[in-house]
Amino acid sequence: MRNEPLLSVSNLTVNLLTAKSAVRPVDGVSYSVRQGECLAIVGESGSGKTVMNFAPLGLMPTGVTTMLSGSVKLEGRELIGLPEAEIQKLRGKSVGFIFQDPMSALNPVRRIGRQIAEMAELHLNMTPKAAEARALELVKLVGISDPAARLRQYPHELSGGLRQRVVIAIALAGEPKLLIADEPTTALDVTVQAQILRLLKDVQKRLNMAMVLITHDMGVVAGAADNIVVMYAARAAERGPVDTVLVNPRHPYTRGLINAIPRREDPVGAEFRGLPGLPPALAAPFKGCAFTPRCDMAVPACSLARPPLEQVDGNVFVACPVVNHGKVAA
Amino acid sequence: MNLSPVLKVENLQTRFKSVQRGKFVHAVDDVSIELFPGEIVGLVGESGCGKSTLGRSIVGLEKATAGRVLLDGVDLSTLSGAALRKSRRALQYVFQDPYSSLNDRQTVGEAIDEALIIDGLRDPTARERRTKELLDQVGLVSVVKDRHTRELSGGQRQRVAIARSLAVNPRVLICDEPVSALDLSIRAQVMNLFLRLQKDLGVACLFIAHDLALVRQAASRTYVMYLGKIVEHGPSQELYDHPSHPYAQMLLASAPEVDPRIEKSRRGPLMIGEIPSPTNPPSGCRFRTRCPLAVDACAQALPPAISLSADHDASCLLAAELHRGSRSALAIQAA
Repeated sequence: MRNEPLLSVSNLTVNLLTAKSAVRPVDGVSYSVRQGECLAIVGESGSGKTVMNFAPLGLMPTGVTTMLSGSVKLEGRELIGLPEAEIQKLRGKSVGFIFQDPMSALNPVRRIGRQIAEMAELHLNMTPKAAEARALELVKLVGISDPAARLRQYPHELSGGLRQRVVIAIALAGEPKLLIADEPTTALDVTVQAQILRLLKDVQKRLNMAMVLITHDMGVVAGAADNIVVMYAARAAERGPVDTVLVNPRHPYTRGLINAIPRREDPVGAEFRGLPGLPPALAAPFKGCAFTPRCDMAVPACSLARPPLEQVDGNVFVACPVVNHGKVAA
Repeated sequence: MNLSPVLKVENLQTRFKSVQRGKFVHAVDDVSIELFPGEIVGLVGESGCGKSTLGRSIVGLEKATAGRVLLDGVDLSTLSGAALRKSRRALQYVFQDPYSSLNDRQTVGEAIDEALIIDGLRDPTARERRTKELLDQVGLVSVVKDRHTRELSGGQRQRVAIARSLAVNPRVLICDEPVSALDLSIRAQVMNLFLRLQKDLGVACLFIAHDLALVRQAASRTYVMYLGKIVEHGPSQELYDHPSHPYAQMLLASAPEVDPRIEKSRRGPLMIGEIPSPTNPPSGCRFRTRCPLAVDACAQALPPAISLSADHDASCLLAAELHRGSRSALAIQAA
């Protein structure tokens, strides 16, 4: 029996209120990550995958009122309701962040070395000198060649892949227990994407961190993650170990997504497989299953009540009554 | 193919002045490609390899510094004024981001109407009929005509952008990453639209993308570009089955697998480093600085394109061996 999960989210709901509208980008989602584990959260834009991870840590745009309910526990400590000053202490310290676009995540007018050292000074109370030494260590850790010279460079002097390595070094500077990577390879080329994914996986194992990998790309999941949550329209459609979910997807949405990826054996010029219809716009919560209009298995009952996430077998949970109980029972 | 190419690009070169004084960025360097009528052709490579600049130079969004672009055998640089504008209309560009390529303040109808007016269609009822026909072709219901483009989803906007470029009856579409800004579940819909347009209207399409699997399935032939040069070209199936340039081999091998059983056993090689600066490209073969098979001869001269089989060639001294499979860039790396 392993210890308690490092991050445990249960029944999280996020409501966003702007001057004009109210939306619910996250609607009753639960998941957990243990130390040394990587959880992939997969979904399309607007599925709530980013808000779900950022809102509890206070990373939301200004001008939006964020209302949270449910529970988010980091090392047993409840984050919801915690004052902003306390949450600020966690950001960068217990939780490291990696963002999609390394150029906008870095300060363009400060040297790489300073940007990494600053984190160590702030979160580990290091002297500037000790922090510089730590920066050098971190730059070596993320596999940057000629580390001493790189520390004196500015972000614009580096390529996209190197910048993302620097962002990873900054995220690691505060010795986080949890790393949240939001589309860390989306802005990179396939060749560099493979390098960065391998690096992330490597540091995560080496430092025994928990990692949440937020992505829209099923392709990056298989090599990096242990478990997966598939999000659709603010809710979890399917959850389980990667080895099971990617090989034997149960939820019609997960099946559709995986089926839509072109395969080697598809003949040239063959029609592309995809899902019909459009993903729903972010709006008020649905009464039934939000996937109903695009689903080939839907029965009338699907649009009446929200399908619960039920355990299928092993550790796989699926929110589809038709899959779980058959057409007739649903 | 006995047909004559609808678009022929000969020894095209596009270079930009570098911020370093007296230096040039060689974005596209001596590239020749051909497109036959009704054919989808892929152009793949890493960012910074010059694939977008090539596309933009073909339609005249960038000024090529040397070389020729021939449309139906007519050199565009010999044309000017109305004749040039008319030829240019036959070459249309579909941009990556449908959020910035359309005017938010226009309705869908206005956006398409504008293209029709430029094409010289004066009669309003004829324009209306044509707008309806175009929306139908791209799979949009005609009620969207009165909606503002900002009200539409990404997939719908890209359809409007495509309808707009089809409005002037183009012979060739240059599509620059047309689906990478779209959500996974609707990419297939737009890809199928391209397949259908090619079948129904016979429009030739140069499909610029970094998603290799997508290109393989859509394109009958594929060009692989690296640092301003075409390094390999061939029928898609053949090229993907027998990549014969070390770069193509490594590029294809770096695409991730969705199936975890395959992915976890695939401790394959990784491409080392990143694409060098096009301001100062390496001498000889441009890939030699990252190539596991590079020898001294690679630095001496640019390797010629070696013909491997019908319509398949690669610019590498070892192309024949790589094609036969007696050597591989991947085997060396893994060792």
